[in-house]
Amino acid sequence: MSLAGPLGTIGVLMRYWVKGRFTKATIIGLCVGEAFAVIFTLFGSSTYLSFSNRVGLTAGLSEVAGSLILALYLVGLIQSGFNGGGLPVSSSDVDYVFTSPVPPREVFAAKVLLNSLTTVLFGFPPIIVLYLRFSAYYHTPMTAAILAGLVTLVFLVIGLLLSADITLSLGRGIGERKKLWRNLFIILVLVLSLLPITLLIPGIPVEIAEVTRVLPNGLAAIVSVGLVSGTPGGVDYLIDLLLLFAWLGGFLILGVRMARGHFYELLEVSAPGTEKFDQPNQESRLDPRGKSIWSIVRLKEKILISRTREARALFINAMFLSGFLIIYALSGSFQSSPTSFLFILFIIGSFGSGTASRWIEKERLWILKSSPVSMRRYVKEVYRARVAPLLLYLVPVTVAVGVPLILSQLSTPALLLGVVLALPGALEIAGITMAGGMYFASRYGQSSADDILSSQAQELADIRRFLFQTVINLIMVSPIILLVLVSEALAKIIGSGALPMLAVGLVLVSVAFTGLSINLLLNKAGSAITRREDL
Amino acid sequence: MVEISIESLTKHYGTLVALDNVSLKVASGEVFGLLGPNGAGKSTLLKTLVGILRPTSGTIRIGQIDIVGSPEKAKRMIGYLPENPSLYTGLTTQEFLQFVGKIRGVADDVLDQEISESLKSFMLDEKRNSLVGTLSKGMKQKVALIATSLHTPQVLVLDEPLTALDPKTRVSVKDWIGGQTKRGVTTILSTHDLDVAQTHAGRIAIIDHGKIVAVGDIESLRKMANTESDARLEDVFLRLTEEKGEEPA
Repeated sequence: MSLAGPLGTIGVLMRYWVKGRFTKATIIGLCVGEAFAVIFTLFGSSTYLSFSNRVGLTAGLSEVAGSLILALYLVGLIQSGFNGGGLPVSSSDVDYVFTSPVPPREVFAAKVLLNSLTTVLFGFPPIIVLYLRFSAYYHTPMTAAILAGLVTLVFLVIGLLLSADITLSLGRGIGERKKLWRNLFIILVLVLSLLPITLLIPGIPVEIAEVTRVLPNGLAAIVSVGLVSGTPGGVDYLIDLLLLFAWLGGFLILGVRMARGHFYELLEVSAPGTEKFDQPNQESRLDPRGKSIWSIVRLKEKILISRTREARALFINAMFLSGFLIIYALSGSFQSSPTSFLFILFIIGSFGSGTASRWIEKERLWILKSSPVSMRRYVKEVYRARVAPLLLYLVPVTVAVGVPLILSQLSTPALLLGVVLALPGALEIAGITMAGGMYFASRYGQSSADDILSSQAQELADIRRFLFQTVINLIMVSPIILLVLVSEALAKIIGSGALPMLAVGLVLVSVAFTGLSINLLLNKAGSAITRREDL
Repeated sequence: MVEISIESLTKHYGTLVALDNVSLKVASGEVFGLLGPNGAGKSTLLKTLVGILRPTSGTIRIGQIDIVGSPEKAKRMIGYLPENPSLYTGLTTQEFLQFVGKIRGVADDVLDQEISESLKSFMLDEKRNSLVGTLSKGMKQKVALIATSLHTPQVLVLDEPLTALDPKTRVSVKDWIGGQTKRGVTTILSTHDLDVAQTHAGRIAIIDHGKIVAVGDIESLRKMANTESDARLEDVFLRLTEEKGEEPA
């Protein structure tokens, strides 16, 4: 090659990928995304800090929370690594880069560098904002916040390297045992990351929590939160930092070693309609005899959910969420007040739009739109099929967090009303945001082979979708949030005698409101599909 | 037996005029070819014809039924195959066909028999329990064709049914089209394969820049294009579309 050695090749590859990735539309999208991430971070951190201030949460508990959040990121990347997505590649990479004489190791280096650079670049603003908010709260210097941010960014890069290493390792001995290894690995990370939360349960030895210090997420959380909270660490921090960089170096060396050989066949190409299935042959489960059209539509949707990674992803997220909330609730740290209920509403409610984002129907709309079925009814049936597993996972989580809350607040009826409204409210919000997500997917959903909208126009449409979806979803769920927030004041005005009646009445009102909202959004979704021209 | 009548059909995408005052009649049982360069408006015409897109103005009748006024009734009579059919890759071949049959109103007792016979005739019987996502492109095209005809439509609208298929699959798809013709199905076939158009279509329309520039059998097209009496359809097509292309915008 006429390039100036490996570094020159890596530079050329990175320039090519940057040019391919950053169109005007994606830059606008990223700026919008950054702005939202910063706003969300400010809101989330302020809510968390006021909550921790009120209930007297220690910085140590913040370290635990941070470690858990970082563990979620790690679990996602482990999953992606085992699925072949550790080094994201497009079909043009396969056609042009993989067929070029560039050595695989240089492709690996360029991919890892670009992914790390973009992650650091776009992760920096919200992470720094988060730690600046913490440092303002704890009255620590701004440099502590910047250092803490840098430590977290190092962790993010470690996650990317781990994911890449897992993908590269798939061809080296793991082979058939891939699924078992993946599950064991994920369970191990989750269990170790959840261990510190046992500190909230009286009588559990403190040493157990220290186990998490061996993991990169635990190390990053301890150092970052420790720095911004002004917790004295000294040599301990230095050791933790050294350990963190040892992980980074270890994963990097491992990756570079494994990338010596040909690894392209291990990578999963990200392209629409190229899902991988564990078994190419399956027993037919869609017997139409004696069933209505709509029950077949629901059954089809359930089969698709069960055969793709969707159900698994939802299950893992719900497991992690329930583990976190159950232990948190058992600890008694959840004090009944509208502020802490918002936490439940947002955490559980956010699962709705996540579920909707996995509904990708656009490429198959020709089947439905050329058939005599009503699109409004079709969307409603799909919703019914998809909301069922969502509720299946979220109801136990809500009950688990709700029972200790209700029991602890039996003596304060005014606050109990808030709990009674917040628990179904969280599920209602999940239901509404899912319907909202489906409406926006119907209206602006992802397209691929599109001869009307250019790819850039489609990206702009996706940005519009994200913006509108967030705003509309917030507006749609605001009455439920408002109801929870004013519950305490309402209960005081009405008096304790009439509280049961008031609670039943308000729950019925909020359920009716949810039903109407979902119906409205799904009708609009059906109409949007009927009107779509970019098919 | 159903005829298709398109009158003064116009379709705009914003400022882009995709179809400009198109009028056509396709007799019942006729195989009608639609030729045109890329971006001429063929797919838009077919999508409007099957009710996926709404016309900006003009009317389309399938038999006596207006596709805009009574889309459900009209769609029961139509079988549509898009240019790049995307299928539910997470369903097995049988499940996919059962689903499509059901939403197109095929009776339960007929559906199973229809699926079995179609899979056998396309030599896909052993792929019955294979996930659609694991099938080859040719197999997927065959599955899409079976899905198109499960409800025994009276009208077939086929958009480039032979694109990117291997010779063996092309033969089976051509045979299938021939079989449908014998059954008396009214067929509109968009294709870049001029041999297919010449062999299967009684009449051919040439569309360019959203307008029908010529309609007729091969003989009358030759006359319109002022070509020799034994000129190939390819020469006729090139002459007619070149002339249109030379007109000022």
